[in-house]
Amino acid sequence: MGLLDLIRPKSAPRRAEARRAELFDDDFQKKLESLAIVSRRIFAGRMRADRRSKKKGSGVEFADHRDYTAGDDFRSVDWSIYQRFGRLLVRLYEEEEDLSIYFIVDASSSMSFGDGRKFDQARRLAAALAYVGLANLDRVTIVSATDAVVARMPTTRGKGRIFKVFEFLSELTPGGTTDLGDAMKTFVAQHKRRGLAVLISDLYDPAGFERGINTLRFNKFEPFVLHVVDQKEARPELKGDVRLYDCETGEEREVTVTDSLLEDMARAFDDYQKSIERFCTSRQVAYFAADVAMPFDELVLRVFRRGGFLR
Amino acid sequence: MIGLGGLPLGTLLGIFGAGAALIVVFYILKLRRRAVPVPFSRIWDSVLKDKQATELFSKLRRLLSLLLQLGLLALLVLALGDPKPKEDLREGRHLVLLIDASASMKAIDVKPTRLAAAKAEAEKIVRGLGASDRAIVVQMGSVPTPRSSMSGDRAELLQAIAQVTASDTHADLEAALFFGRDSLRGLPHAELVVIGDGAYAKSALPAARVNLEGAEPRFVPIGKSGKNLSISEFSVRRYPLDKARYEVMLEVANLDDEPVDVELELSGDGVIVDVTRLKLGPSERLPRYYQDLAGASRTLTARIKAAAGADEQPADDVAYALLPERRRARILLVSPGNTYLEATLLLDEYLDVAQVAPGAPLPAGKFDVAIFDGVAPTLPDDVGAALYLNPPAEGTPVPLGPPLVDFGFDTWERKSPVLRFLSMGDVQVAKGHAFKPGPGDKVIGASEHGPILVGGARHGHRFVALGFDPRDSDFVLRIAWPLFVLNTINTFIEEDTGYVSSYRTGDVWRIPVPASLATVNLLEPGGAKHTVPVSDGRAVFRGQLAGFYKLSGGADDAPLGEFAANLSDLEESRIAPQKELTFGGKKASALPVSAVSYRSDIWIYLLLAVIAVSLLEWITYHRRVTV
Repeated sequence: MGLLDLIRPKSAPRRAEARRAELFDDDFQKKLESLAIVSRRIFAGRMRADRRSKKKGSGVEFADHRDYTAGDDFRSVDWSIYQRFGRLLVRLYEEEEDLSIYFIVDASSSMSFGDGRKFDQARRLAAALAYVGLANLDRVTIVSATDAVVARMPTTRGKGRIFKVFEFLSELTPGGTTDLGDAMKTFVAQHKRRGLAVLISDLYDPAGFERGINTLRFNKFEPFVLHVVDQKEARPELKGDVRLYDCETGEEREVTVTDSLLEDMARAFDDYQKSIERFCTSRQVAYFAADVAMPFDELVLRVFRRGGFLR
Repeated sequence: MIGLGGLPLGTLLGIFGAGAALIVVFYILKLRRRAVPVPFSRIWDSVLKDKQATELFSKLRRLLSLLLQLGLLALLVLALGDPKPKEDLREGRHLVLLIDASASMKAIDVKPTRLAAAKAEAEKIVRGLGASDRAIVVQMGSVPTPRSSMSGDRAELLQAIAQVTASDTHADLEAALFFGRDSLRGLPHAELVVIGDGAYAKSALPAARVNLEGAEPRFVPIGKSGKNLSISEFSVRRYPLDKARYEVMLEVANLDDEPVDVELELSGDGVIVDVTRLKLGPSERLPRYYQDLAGASRTLTARIKAAAGADEQPADDVAYALLPERRRARILLVSPGNTYLEATLLLDEYLDVAQVAPGAPLPAGKFDVAIFDGVAPTLPDDVGAALYLNPPAEGTPVPLGPPLVDFGFDTWERKSPVLRFLSMGDVQVAKGHAFKPGPGDKVIGASEHGPILVGGARHGHRFVALGFDPRDSDFVLRIAWPLFVLNTINTFIEEDTGYVSSYRTGDVWRIPVPASLATVNLLEPGGAKHTVPVSDGRAVFRGQLAGFYKLSGGADDAPLGEFAANLSDLEESRIAPQKELTFGGKKASALPVSAVSYRSDIWIYLLLAVIAVSLLEWITYHRRVTV
């Protein structure tokens, strides 16, 4: 390497390529394979296309009865019930269909704050979980969102498509403000097929993280919140008189940072995280805090054990 | 009441205004905070909401910080103003502190010494100087020596006082007063303060008449007792005709009013030669002679001892003397035969005489002196000097005048070393010649008809010429004849017939050294070494200490000789302290008590306050108390 190579800035494509290679390197891909195997062993017998939707229809698995209405198929009337109780009831079956998994990756500026560890971790998690989904022949869709859906990887299935996932995730660049409420409205409007919506975000939404999750809930998606957390943000290395500005909104605050203020900040950070967890738990929304300091494969296993992602 | 002794108030206000403006600008600049990004400001909002209550205190704290800076500036500016009590703002005094450092100040009647007590008094005066007062410290010995500049700096003055050391000389009060008067000329509130024992017998009278030009005379008396024994004289000399032997004269003086028993001890080269017990009456001066002493002694030391309390001055209890060094001299005698002359040259065993007849080839080698008897050949370069006896017209170093008959010495140079110990008035001469001395020649003896004994130098060679044959006179029958010849030889070879066995301290010494040297090195008894200039073959130095001195010089710093120095000053040995002193035409008064004031330098405390507050702020800043 010459001196010119050191001082000449690398071109953007080369940087992105290098970044991608670094993000999803061979080691990462090996770990993905082992995660897929582990996931099969844990959830053996419930893996292939036996993800049942709540949609009742023409499947073979009995689900429920309902009153007969005009126009119903006579073949579905439960005649034995009619014989015993004199009522016309129709047998309902769970309709079997492929599960759709949506990965919504927060690509706002706050995700790249500091050294960008949160965004990298989010993308690794999305890639790993997408691989598991693809391996289970689920329909996997990935979108990135800020205050809108900024990029979308078309729905795909089969683990051979994982490299498209890598490519999509690698090309994401963080930027913009967070507004999960508006972004999720766009998302649900674009995706009529309901399914598991894995929201991978730091949930730094000035309008409130609740709106985005509720939008998913209210539109029959099953939200799964992966909260990317960087503990460094809870204890910033600051001292003295400073002017703080929000990296997304640019809002400024003049602060004299003292030890006691830093302690209060750490406490407020924990409170914010707990409020998210409390919100999700109270609404049966799967929640998992993903610390950036933790290796992604360990995080994925914890996600599996936590439940909600694989059933 | 407080007033300003430094910068005027208007200037101070200007400095403070400019400084305060600068501080405020810096303060405002300081408030431009460092911009730091955060990922989510809403969390900070929740924290800062709780801090709203402390915001007022925070602002107040910042304001306090600004006020603190302004306060520090105010203290510094005030320090520049040199605030002091009104009574200190009067025009300051100007003092010349003349600290007596003469030999009498070595007296121990005041413990530890009079000089130490005088220095303590001087320190007391310096510590009591007011803020506007200035002083100069002068060591008063045989010459006044300033030890400091005219200064108000206590540290400098105290250091100068510490440098004052006693010498073995008298104190020249008159010279010190002249120096002090000149130092104080034109200065207001001038005072001349003499701190000493007042025993200045030599210079007391002229000092009393010195015009001090308005300076106030002050005297701080030191000392209690005047009991003293001294060796007032000490001298040694070789016998002129037997230089292997010598005699010693010394004088012991009792300067008290009571009789005293004294033990006198004489040592040669550190070995005791004689111990004598003497009884001296009140104020008695007792001379002692030690005759016909022999031996190879080089140094002589006399010491007196008395009962405790009878002698308060140890400085004059020891005296030193040095015997003149002897060396062999080579003499060339060119004579057809002269019994008187040959016999004379036999008297000194240190002379190596080579005799040749006139016209015969001269022996090889260097000669210190050539004696030409009735002849005047060309002087060889190997001969240092020449004595011409009745030189002929051809070759004489001094042209001959008219012939003389029946004449004698009507006048002669009594101080000339050639005629030392001699009386030439009785010499009768039958015939001879007068000389016609040239410029630079010195007539040593003359008859009424003209010079008959002349000294001088030709081509770098010194000579003495006698204008008659001694055998044509009764000169050779007199004791003066051998003395004349030996004196002349000793003069030529610089073996000092007028040898000074010891110099007197405090005087300017003129020590004979080789004339070719420009400077010589002088080693004092105390070990200090000085480079001394040489003028006309004499090293000129004013000695302050009694004892043995060593001279060296030349390219290899070769030893040039030794000599001794003594106090030998009976007046300085009179150490009875005086309670009063008159100089400058009036009786010197004591320092008024009010003159010793407490010196209040407020600016020092202001600076200390600035340092303390700065330190406090530094600690609180680094402890994050104020940020």
